[in-house]
Formats: sequence, C-alpha cells, structure tokens
Amino acid sequence: MDKSGIGHHISQQYNAELEELRSRVLAMGGLVEKQIADAVTSLVDADAELADRVITTDYQVNALEVNIDEECTQVLARRQPAASDLRLIIAVIKTITDLERIGDQAEKVAHMGIRLADKVRPKNNYLEIQNMGNLVKAMLNKALDAFARMDAEAALQVAHEDANADHQYESIMRQRITHMMEDPRSIAQSLDVMWASRALERVGDHSRNIAEYVIYLVKGKDVRHISLKKMEEAALDKR
Amino acid sequence: MIRKWIKSGNPWIWLTAGAVSISLLMVVGVLGLLTIKGLVYFWPNDVVEISYQLKDGKQQILVGEIYDEEHVPVQRLRDAGVAINTDDKFVTRYLLKTGNRDISGSDFRWVLAANFIKQKRPEELAVIERREWGNLYGRIHALKQNGKIIAEGDKAWPALQASILRVIKLFSQIHNLEKSEIGEVNYELEQLRLDKRRLELNGETDPQVYTDIEKQKKILKAKYSKLEGRLTVLYKKMGRDSYIIEVMDGKKVEQPVAKVVRAFRPNSMGVMGKLGHYAEKVWEFVSDDPREANTEGGIFPTIFGTILMVLIMSVLVTPIGVIAAIYLREYAKQGPLTRTIRIAVNNLAGVPSIVYGIFGLGFFVYFLGGSIDQIFFPEALPAPTFGTGGILWASLTLALMTLPVVIVSTEEGLSRVPRAIREGSLALGATKAETLWRTVLPMASPAMMTGMILAVARAAGEVAPLMLVGVVKLAPSMPLDWNPPFLHLERKFMHLGFHIYDVGFQSPNVEAARPLVYATALLLVLVIIVLNLASIGIRNHLREKYRSLEQ
Amino acid sequence: MNADNGITHSINLDDLQRERTRLDINSEEIALTVTDFNLFYGDSQALKNISIKIPKNRVTAFIGPSGCGKSTLLRCFNRMNDLIDIVRIEGTIELHGENIFAKAVNVADLRRRVGMVFQKPNPFPKSIYENVAYGLRIQGINNRHILDEAVEMALKGAALWEEVKDRLDESAMGLSGGQQQRVVIARCIAIEPEVLLLDEPASALDPISTLKIEELIYELKSDYTIVIVTHNMQQAARVSDYTAFMYLGDLVEFDDTNTIFTNPGMKQTEDYITGRYG
Repeated sequence: MDKSGIGHHISQQYNAELEELRSRVLAMGGLVEKQIADAVTSLVDADAELADRVITTDYQVNALEVNIDEECTQVLARRQPAASDLRLIIAVIKTITDLERIGDQAEKVAHMGIRLADKVRPKNNYLEIQNMGNLVKAMLNKALDAFARMDAEAALQVAHEDANADHQYESIMRQRITHMMEDPRSIAQSLDVMWASRALERVGDHSRNIAEYVIYLVKGKDVRHISLKKMEEAALDKR
Repeated sequence: MIRKWIKSGNPWIWLTAGAVSISLLMVVGVLGLLTIKGLVYFWPNDVVEISYQLKDGKQQILVGEIYDEEHVPVQRLRDAGVAINTDDKFVTRYLLKTGNRDISGSDFRWVLAANFIKQKRPEELAVIERREWGNLYGRIHALKQNGKIIAEGDKAWPALQASILRVIKLFSQIHNLEKSEIGEVNYELEQLRLDKRRLELNGETDPQVYTDIEKQKKILKAKYSKLEGRLTVLYKKMGRDSYIIEVMDGKKVEQPVAKVVRAFRPNSMGVMGKLGHYAEKVWEFVSDDPREANTEGGIFPTIFGTILMVLIMSVLVTPIGVIAAIYLREYAKQGPLTRTIRIAVNNLAGVPSIVYGIFGLGFFVYFLGGSIDQIFFPEALPAPTFGTGGILWASLTLALMTLPVVIVSTEEGLSRVPRAIREGSLALGATKAETLWRTVLPMASPAMMTGMILAVARAAGEVAPLMLVGVVKLAPSMPLDWNPPFLHLERKFMHLGFHIYDVGFQSPNVEAARPLVYATALLLVLVIIVLNLASIGIRNHLREKYRSLEQ
Repeated sequence: MNADNGITHSINLDDLQRERTRLDINSEEIALTVTDFNLFYGDSQALKNISIKIPKNRVTAFIGPSGCGKSTLLRCFNRMNDLIDIVRIEGTIELHGENIFAKAVNVADLRRRVGMVFQKPNPFPKSIYENVAYGLRIQGINNRHILDEAVEMALKGAALWEEVKDRLDESAMGLSGGQQQRVVIARCIAIEPEVLLLDEPASALDPISTLKIEELIYELKSDYTIVIVTHNMQQAARVSDYTAFMYLGDLVEFDDTNTIFTNPGMKQTEDYITGRYG
C-alpha cells in the first residue's frame, strides 16, 4: 500500500487527522535523527556545547511523544479505526515510544560526549563511534523512510542491518577491552566509549522495532520475535 | 407594498381562514335555525283574547296563540281590500292560531295589530289538546258524567284534570289490549290462515289436519271475542265523561273527555310549570306515536325505523365490503383488472341515490322479493310478503349504495398495515390466511369502522331511494316486536327523513306542522350525530388499541 | 487477581503459545450451505454466484453498503423472498444438508426452523404474552400451561423476563424500542428455531438498547446459529465470530471477524470498513 492510502476516506476530516498524525511522527523522527547526529558529532568533535544542546532539546522529543499519544487516543475514541487505519494508529503509538527511547539514547551519548570532551583524545578521534553512529543513523533514517513510504521491503532491510550494528558494537567492546587491559589509565575513558556505543546499539534495536511496526502496518502481520527468514516471508508476501 | 403583502403569504392565510369561517358559520346557522325553530314548538305560548275590529265596524273576540308576526306594506293590504285606520307605511300583522277546527273550520287567522281594540290574557283560558281536530281554546264551563253535570265554574277545572288522568289510564289499557293481546291473536289467526293455505297448496288431503286447524281457529276466535268484549267495556268506560267549553264567540260546546290528551292553562302557569310542560311535550315527541296524519304527537316509530334500518344496513354492508376489500388488496393479482374494478367501485359512490332506489325496486323488491314470495310464501299470494318494499330491501339498497365507501376505506386500512407486521407473522411460520386473520384484520379494523361511519352518515340521511323500497307515511306495526320471529324484515317502516318530507309537504295542515318539521329535522340531525359519535368512539378505541408502527 | 498467586498463575501460558487465536471455518460444523446462488429481480441480478458456509452456533455477520444484497440473501434463508413475485433464483441453499428450495419443503415449517427478526421492532398490537405465544398458537398449541411455560422460557431467553413478568397482559406497543425488539426475539425463540436471522436488529434503537441486544446475541449463540445483517460495522465487529463482506451482489470476502477488522484480504473490504470510497 502506498502512502496515499491514508487519504481517500469519505471523511476529509479523518484524512486530515491521519495525515497530521503521520507527519508529526515523521517530524518527531526527524528531530530524533538530528539529536542522534548531533550527539555523535558532539562526542567525536568534543563539542560540549553541542552536547549540551542535545540534552536540553530532549524535552521537545518527550513533548512530541505525549502530544502524538494524545492525538492517537482521540482518533481511537472518535473514529474507531479499523484495518489499515487501526494498524496505523497502533504502529504510530509504538513507533513514538521507540523514537522517544532513541531520544533518550541520544541524550546518553551526549552526556558521554561532555565527559569525553575534556579528556585526552585518542588517535583515531573516536572513529569507531562515528562509524557506528553513521550506521544506526542510516538505519533510523531508513526505518522512518519506510514508515513514510509504507515500504515493507525497505523495512526488512533495516532489520537486516541491525545485525551489522550488533556486530560493530561487539567489535568496539572487544577493542575497548583490549585497550583497558593494555592501558589501565584509559579505563574510565573506555567505559564512557562503551556506554556510548551501547546506546548507539540500542538505537539500532529501536530502529529495527520501528521497521517491524512498518511491516505490521503494511502487511498486517506481527513480525516481532521471529526469525529473520520468517520475517522476510511476511514482508515480501505479495497479496 | 401590496406586492410585499401578497408575497408574505398572509392573503393565503386569510383566504383559508375565511373558508373555514364560512363553513363554520353555515354549520352553526343550520343547527341554530333547527334548534331555535324546533325547540320553540314545545313551549306553551300564552293564549290571548283580542277584541278585534272587523271590516264592517263590528267587534269580534278572538282567542288563540300568537304564532307568527310579520310587517307588511299598508298599500298591499289596501289593494287587497282590507280597511286599515293608520298613516304608517307598514303595519304589523299576527298569525293567530285559533284552533277549534271542528267548530270554526280553520286553525289559523291573520290579524292586523292596528285593528286591535283590546288585548287580554285571562288566566282561565284553557288549551285542550285532542286526539282529533287539533287544539281547542276556550273557558271550561262544566264537567258532565253520564250526561249529568257534576262540577261547574271553578270546580270544573280540577274535575276535568282528574277525568283526563282517568281517561289516559284507560286509553293506555286499550292501547295495550289492542296492540299486544289482540295483535297477538290476530297474528296467530293470520299465521293459521297461511298454514292452512300452505297445506292446501301442498295438496294435503288428510282431513284431520284441517279439522285441527279449524279447532285452533275456533279457540282463537273465542279468545278474540272475549278480548273484544273487554275492549268494548273499556271504551264505554272511557266515554263516560264530557266537558262543556265556551269557545271564543261565546258558543258553549260539549266535548267528550275521551278525546283529550292534555288540558292546560298557559296564562296561569309559572316558568317552572311551563318548563315541566315543555319537558313533557319533548318526551311525548320522542316516545309517542304520531297522531292526526303525523302532525301531532310523537315520532318514535320514525326514530326507531331509522336506527333499525341503519343498523341492518351496517350489518349487511360491513362484511360484504370488508371481504371484497380483502380480496382486492390481499389476494387478487394487482393488474388492469383489479384497477378496473377499483375504478368501477369508486364510481359507484358517485351514482345518484335515486338510481339506487330504482335498482332496489326493480331488482330487490320485484325480482328477488317476487321470487322469494313465489318460493317461500305462496300461501300469502297475491298479497306480497317480500315482494313489496320493506326494511330489508331498504337496508340492502342503502348497503349497496354505501358499499364503495366501505371497500375504499377498508382497502386503505389494509394498505396501511405495515409490511413489517405481516412479515413478522409470516416469519413465525404463519400462513397468509393466519396472518390476515390474526394480525392484519384487527389492525385494519379502525379503517373498517371509518368506512362504516361514512356509510352510516350517508345512509341515515338518505330519503329518496327509500321512498321506492319500503318507507311509508304511517306503518301499522314496527319491524321489531314481541311476535316471533321478532325481527320482521319484510315490514314497511317509518323514517325520519321521509317523515320530514311528509309532514312538511304532504300534510293537510302545513302551517300547523311547520315547527314540527323543524323539530323532526333537528332530531334527525341528532340521531345522525349520535350514530356517528358512537361509531367514532368505537373506532378511536380500536385505533388506540392497535396504534402501532404508524408514527 | 490474587496477590499470593501472582499474575502468571491466572493466565494459561500454554494458550499463549498458540501463534494465532483465529477461528477456522473448516473445522466448524455447518448449518447453512449456500452454493452458486443467484437471485434476480426481474432482469436485474441482485445476488451473483454466492457460495458461503454459515457455521453452526456461531454469529455470522453480513456487512456491506446499502443495496449490496446482504438483506436479500438473509431473506432467502427463510424464503421471505417468496413474497415478491418477480424474484427468480438459481442455485441452492441447504439447511443441514436439505435444500430449502426443494418442492417438498413446507415454507411455514421452514420459517419455524429459521426465525427472523426485522430492522424495526414489529411486535403485534397485542399483549406481550400473546406476542410471544403467537408462533405457538399458530401451531395450534392453546394449552395455557404449555404456553405459560414457553412464554416464560422465551422471555428469559431474551433477557426480558425480569422487566415484564408483572405486566405480561399489557400491550407490547407500550414497551420501549429495545424492549419491543427483545419481545420480537422472544417471539422468535419461543418456537425454538435452529437458525435466527437478524436483519439490522438494532438499527432503530438507542445505544444502550443496542448493547443489550448485542449482549443477548452473544448469549443466544450457544443455542442458535445466528446470522446478522448490519450497517453498523462496529456492531458486526463486536458481536460476530465470522464476517462476510458483500458488495454489489458479490460476496467479496468471508473470514473470521478478527481478520476482517484488522487485516482484511481484499482492498474493497479494507476500503469499506475503513470508510474509504472504493
């Protein structure tokens, strides 16, 4: 189903409400994306000011979540949506929860950025964090894109990429553990990096969740907690 | 300005309201006229004694009730050769009911107010209502018993009243004897004669049977002569008293008390007395038989005949109309044929009633009645039994006339029973007939009643066709009595509408009968209103009961 | 929930293992089988090649826009379509394996087996008692004792007994709309039909009465096969086990109600239940 599926209700008001809801989710997604990007940048560039801004901006994400939640409640109460509309509302409610958590993770990363800013910078200038940040940012972006276009296939790709993120996280862990063993003075710094990467890994998981909601929204199938193979079957199921 | 007013719709409201007021005025006018003219008839007017100047200068004493009053141009009277001493252009003249038809030859007399010399209302002037010859006005002089004077002067009046009471008691005894006992014997004798005739026609040869009949006849004859004997005695008793009355020209006349219905002195009556007299007269009017070619007495048989005819008609027309409507609406395949039938039925409602009368006479009376006589009552021929007008044929004729109304309104009612109700019944496993009988018909009953109301309203007021099929001026016996089979459908009957026509236009004394016409008309209207109200009451009750999905 | 036992004890975890809680038409006992059914009003075709199996002791809802033929199909189940002269049918409808359009079938008997409740409450203008006893009286049962018992059973079955037991002799027209509709249902179940057809039974009622009727439908389904036609999609969603969507005389989709209302298979169904123009 394409994104125009939201329209075409006999009630124009209903169309407008759903469209509004969808664009707010995307706006929230955009905001969260920017938060993640800023947080990673602040960490990599040792920009404490930017990190501060990320932390202070998080309230906007929270406010959006509450706002969208309320709007969903209203649509449920007034319109009693069914089928795809119902799935859209359910998907939105769940998506914004995950987006808010991503916002929290961005905040965490920013905190780490502040702590790492006045410490000695490694040679690679936290390239691994930069890379991982890029990866999960791309995942989130793709997941939101899939949501915007109601594209189950794109969502499936996000799920696939989650494995990469996990992979990167593991390698950062290993790398840092090696560091810590080699140079116990770097333990504090390493722990912060591990915390940041851990947060970014969670962002990947949340992005995957969003992707799963998109598949539910488009295909009407619940693909949580099943193997990738089965998920693939569901997502590519042509009807 | 005007255009705006027209546009506002106000003229339309005024127009419609005007139409309503005109209709209302006409209804009130009719009822008012009938009520006033009719009810005044029963009021005891004062009796006046007038010294009247005649043309040749002589004086005459006139006694009577002032009946009517009009203003006439003097010139016209002078042209007619009446001498008047007046300078006015118009004079008042009164219609004086002088009564004493048997003595002076005429009941009424026009007198000119200008020629009055003196006018008095002496208390002792009496009005005597009689069974024959109309009222008598004058002063009671004496009462005689078996030819001897027993009371004179002041005592004569109470003695006369006592004598009248006695006579009335005797009269009702005679009436009972004649109507019930002698009537019964006569009826049985007639039946016996018919039995015998029937046996003869059937070729019965057993002499035993005939002797039996003769024996019975003898018994009845004996009974009859005994009754006749009693009757003679009663008549003799009644003829005992007579009274002497001084009428207006001073002549003294002796009259039998036996002929008196009532004697009263209006000039001496107070308001209460007059009211009592009034009530008595009204009661007599609705409960008594007519006298004197219908111009006096009551009109009970006509009320009875009208109501009975309407009832029989309702009983006949309702089932036929309802059944026809059910077939047309529920069973017949709707198509050109049913449409044609409907149009025909609707058009029947517009046929003039006299046409129905002619049809009733030709088909019911001559054809059907004639055939019935041939087959069932050959013993009575050549005297017709059903082969002449009678209440059955009159009812049937009116039933035919009102049939379309019943059919149309019943169909209307059937079509208004909601489909949902029929389907509800059918869905419970009822057949079409069961559905009709148990649900649809009860629900359509208010409409059937409406049809009947319309039929009754039309039938009760109809006169023209009835004149051809059974209504008479004076029926010897009522169609319902104590002789089996109690309801005599072949008998002729009296009818209020026809009574009005007869009294108003065929009576020997039209002037005297005019108030009676009004009173009768008022009664006819009342009877129709009562019949209608009763039906409407039943209908509203049914409607309330079956008020269903008609919101 | 008891604090000692904890939440987990009150939920059967085995049930959660099942992947889907869907109903499966193939494992149901079938009450009505419609096969290749066509219906024509004169020249226009109102039902096009309908084939459907209505499961026993379940509530099956028919939804669809006006004129889609759902009521027409419902009326065929007890041959109310016979009342219209110009109707012509093809195909069969079987009630427990017996073709209801067979010549040998007595229509009145069929209608006793397949009861029907209409859109507008249509109690007869008689007392409540006589309304409920109507079907039995038609069958010639006039024994007061039997009738009393049947009326009480039926009114209890229709969840109306408590409300009207003291005024059985009053006119049914004096009841509220919801009560009237329950009288009609009681009238229907008094003759113990196998199938109960409900043609928009709550469309003329207020929301509270509607809920009462819906609750009643839920209770009745253990004893009767119920087929309901409704314009109210939420109602179909609430009361039915299976839902059929019809459009312009076609049976578009028939599936269990959960599926139809969360993830319908056909775009037409989706458009209809989400309120889009198709």
